[in-house]
Amino acid sequence: MKALAAVALVGLMVLLALGVSGVFPRPAVPSGEDIAAEWGAKNVVAAIILGVRLWDTLFEILVYAMTMVGVKLGLRLLRWERPLPPVAETPLLRRSADLLLGPIVVFALYVAVSGHLGPGGGFPAGAILGTALLLLALAKGVERLSAEIHEPTLEWAEYGAIAAVLAVAGALLLLGRRGSAYLIAANLLIALEVGIGAWVVLHRFASSRGEV
Amino acid sequence: MGMVLLAALTLALAVFALTQRRLLWGVIGVGAHSLALAGVYLFLAAPDVALTQAAVGFGLVTFIYLLALRRTGKLTVAAVETPHLLHQENERVAGLEWEILSRFGNQLHRDVEVMWVPRAEIPALLRAGDADIGAGALFPREGEALLLSRPILPTRIVTVRCGPGPVGAVAGDRGQDFLPPGSTLYEDHAALAHALRRGEVGGAVADLLHVRQWVLSGEVRPRETTDVEEAAFRLAVAPTEEDVLRALDAFLAELEETGELAQLVRRYMG
Amino acid sequence: MEGLAAVALAIALVGVGFWTLIVRRNLIWKLLGLNVGASGAILFLVALAHRPGARPPIVGLGPGPSADPLPHALVLTAIVIDFATLALALVYVIFLTEHRHTQDVRRLERDEERGWPQP
Repeated sequence: MKALAAVALVGLMVLLALGVSGVFPRPAVPSGEDIAAEWGAKNVVAAIILGVRLWDTLFEILVYAMTMVGVKLGLRLLRWERPLPPVAETPLLRRSADLLLGPIVVFALYVAVSGHLGPGGGFPAGAILGTALLLLALAKGVERLSAEIHEPTLEWAEYGAIAAVLAVAGALLLLGRRGSAYLIAANLLIALEVGIGAWVVLHRFASSRGEV
Repeated sequence: MGMVLLAALTLALAVFALTQRRLLWGVIGVGAHSLALAGVYLFLAAPDVALTQAAVGFGLVTFIYLLALRRTGKLTVAAVETPHLLHQENERVAGLEWEILSRFGNQLHRDVEVMWVPRAEIPALLRAGDADIGAGALFPREGEALLLSRPILPTRIVTVRCGPGPVGAVAGDRGQDFLPPGSTLYEDHAALAHALRRGEVGGAVADLLHVRQWVLSGEVRPRETTDVEEAAFRLAVAPTEEDVLRALDAFLAELEETGELAQLVRRYMG
Repeated sequence: MEGLAAVALAIALVGVGFWTLIVRRNLIWKLLGLNVGASGAILFLVALAHRPGARPPIVGLGPGPSADPLPHALVLTAIVIDFATLALALVYVIFLTEHRHTQDVRRLERDEERGWPQP
């Protein structure tokens, strides 16, 4: 078994090394400056994600959303025998969460809005947003926070974000508009979608005693 | 040069994480590895990827692993499946030791999780911190360096003879100590009984509970039974968890005093 | 120099990760190994995009060649999807632990051979 695994690994590594050796030719790609100028962006990566390869990105978001739904349904099917004893509240965590939450959310928004000009974009902004919400959940206690936030609203917000991304993409395809305003809107919506999705998953794991 | 150093650090962190014994350290190591990897992306002129890797790999992935682990709120029991003491019944775990352990977990506000393992693996698991408590017809052996609880139930180690041939035992069980070196050892009691029935071994050293089970189910027809040693079923605790041992001993003493232990023994042993 | 070091690191990470994936018996360890292996694969793509002395693919950062932006765009979504699939895999592991009381693949296989306990 171990010998077989070693042989397979060596084969894989040889294959990877062959990939960089220049045996396989690279396809010709239009220059980054042209793409960026066409879409009104400075960050070529943002122009590619939201412009040239928009369909790819859309379906990736769809995969993400479906995985979130799978996690939600999966954890809902589990029956827990005993509720978890309440977690002791720590003032330090709570205070630091109060202090940090605002800056983190502002930073996430900044990363999303400036994604077409510099490093950033919707995906990292969404991840930062999800982490911020999780910090809040840890500080306030998951049960109390979910009582405040009203979960059905949250789920509708998640589906709403997907619908909005699809709507923006559809409008773009129908009207043929290309510009930085579209890039900002799409980045913000992707951030919202990814952030809310991440938070829903983390919240499910935390509140349904997801112990392994 | 800085790039090479950072790459070496990334690889070292990955290797550190994946060679750990405790899952918690593995998760933390993989988180640190993700952060170092984000630095490597910066060197490769990919700031977008670096930002995403740092936010997702270090923040979200580590959090989701930690939430899934929640090791602090859980008591992991490495157990040998034993009739009457600790066994799986349909989808639930049942038995005398399970009753004691689940009540004990209730008292500590910790969930009890059972991990079924062969007897020989229990000491390594306890020493490595992969399990907190070892259970399931456990007898102390020399050189295992485990903490042991108060005796739960007295019993005896006996030699059962069914026919000619060598004597076998379960690997890692107390019975192994009474065999000459180089004897045949089996992974669990079911395999031992099977070998006994087929005549692979002529006899076995085991505890009275298992022998009684074999005789009652008609699996083994002993010709001769000799006592080897007086013993008692105990629970083993990981060497690092002395406070768990103290709590467990206090809990068992309380069960004995109130007579609940005797009641439980009657209920499960008949 | 940098690209070469990155490719070597990527290949080593894939090796270490897949080794863990194959040899470890605990399902969560397998997932951790898969995680490291996936990060190696992602690093490999980013290393392919790198050219000697390249600057980030952002317009107006000065002269010189820029890194190929296309692999960056591909990899960006892959990282996020990795997280999502990891969450789903962990849910399955929780399921398995809840119903079979073990994460040990060898134990699971043995139970399957002997027949699952029927309710």
